[in-house]
Amino acid sequence: MTTLVVAGPTGLAEHDGGTYHPEQPSRLFAAMDGVRALGLEDEVVYPPIEEASLAELSRVHAPAYLAELEAFCARGGGDIDPDTYARPDSWTAARRAAGAGLAALAELERRGEGVAFVPVRPPGHHATADRAMGFCLVNNVAVAAASRTALGERVLVVDWDVHHGNGTQAIFWDDPDVLYVSTHQHPLFPGTGRPSEVGGPAAPGLTVNLPLPPGATGDVVRTAIDGMARQSVEEFAPDWVLVSCGFDAHQADPLGELELSSGDFAELARVVAEFAPRPGRLALFLEGGYNPVSIASSVEATLGALLGAGERPPPPTSGGPGLSQLRADRSERLRAIDRVHMEVGP
Amino acid sequence: MTAERFVVVGYDGSADAQSAVTWAAEAAVALGARLRVVHAVGLLEHAGLSGHGEVDGDVACRLAADAGMDRDDVEWLVVDGDPCGALLRTAEPPDSTILLVVGSRGSGAHAGTLLGSTSLELAEHSSIPVTIVPPSPKAG
Repeated sequence: MTTLVVAGPTGLAEHDGGTYHPEQPSRLFAAMDGVRALGLEDEVVYPPIEEASLAELSRVHAPAYLAELEAFCARGGGDIDPDTYARPDSWTAARRAAGAGLAALAELERRGEGVAFVPVRPPGHHATADRAMGFCLVNNVAVAAASRTALGERVLVVDWDVHHGNGTQAIFWDDPDVLYVSTHQHPLFPGTGRPSEVGGPAAPGLTVNLPLPPGATGDVVRTAIDGMARQSVEEFAPDWVLVSCGFDAHQADPLGELELSSGDFAELARVVAEFAPRPGRLALFLEGGYNPVSIASSVEATLGALLGAGERPPPPTSGGPGLSQLRADRSERLRAIDRVHMEVGP
Repeated sequence: MTAERFVVVGYDGSADAQSAVTWAAEAAVALGARLRVVHAVGLLEHAGLSGHGEVDGDVACRLAADAGMDRDDVEWLVVDGDPCGALLRTAEPPDSTILLVVGSRGSGAHAGTLLGSTSLELAEHSSIPVTIVPPSPKAG
């Protein structure tokens, strides 16, 4: 039986922006309700979590940014932008969230099998090397990915959050050891993630953006990841698969307009599991998702699909728009890759 | 035929942004350019959770007209994204943007910190000239 490693929750009591803000601790209680609904009880492994060190964070973040964030929190914090806040304890919360991802990968490696879930907050995929934004302070999945590329390994990051992970894309833009694949509603915050964004001169084609129109259903997202991105994944041959596992593409989420059911996340989980090179190389990081009910059901469905546990989820969705756009975008993407190759030269 | 040229200004409804629109409109008139007023919509505003009302483009367009612009030469754009990214994308070719303008502080930025400073980030990343407009004395 596959082991479930849960590195978290972290951020249950810290980094509290108040009840008006959708990125709040109740999201984690909902995620853990989803874990408990699997009925695995004592079989779940909770590895010890330490705060990520400055050296670990500095693999992806500018030291000056980290110092500014720490000092801002020490001064009492406040609103960083209209979406993003910090509190006095947010620096600690962000370091623990990043540390949880590191603990998850270490536990998987030690065991040589299992699937890891990292239920943490604040989320991370919008945080760039030198900027907090979109509720994110530290890019948790990027810190984890960089910990493996530092060892010479190759990392696939699949991001199915409804919002494009601009921070993760920017951090690994020119890194030949990271393949970044994102499905996201477009147009929508942060406005990035067009198909023509394909990576830098050292990594042409290693950024794969698959934007989707409002109303897109699960079959379209599956086609994007399983059909459009699979060839890139197979050519890249990752050592690790990390998922920026937002649940705000769910039809009940207040921040997006995609139409996925929790059953769709089960289907997506099966696809990314196929991308993993061997057992113990798949970890899912909580990003967005702001409806507690859909978070709980989606966590149960996602992990249940990977572990063969939990109740049967609602059926996958189909029939929404986006398939023809995906096909058209493929041509735009290939032209953009050609342009990068031409700029680099032979 | 001469290609149209644009001055692009960020607008979030704050007093600083209003000063920036006025300055940008005067600059556009002087430069013979059109004006694009760009409002970036973040996560909370998109979901109607921002805690303030809708940012009114009419106010920005009236400010531009008061500064001497022909109303037909003013465009109001609402763009999903962070303010810096939205402005940079709006300024991309094929249109010819000759100047980006922002207020020195938006509605969410904190004095005394680099975090969340659209103006500083824009100055760092833009390949075209950027003007950062200080608060109007009237705005306090």
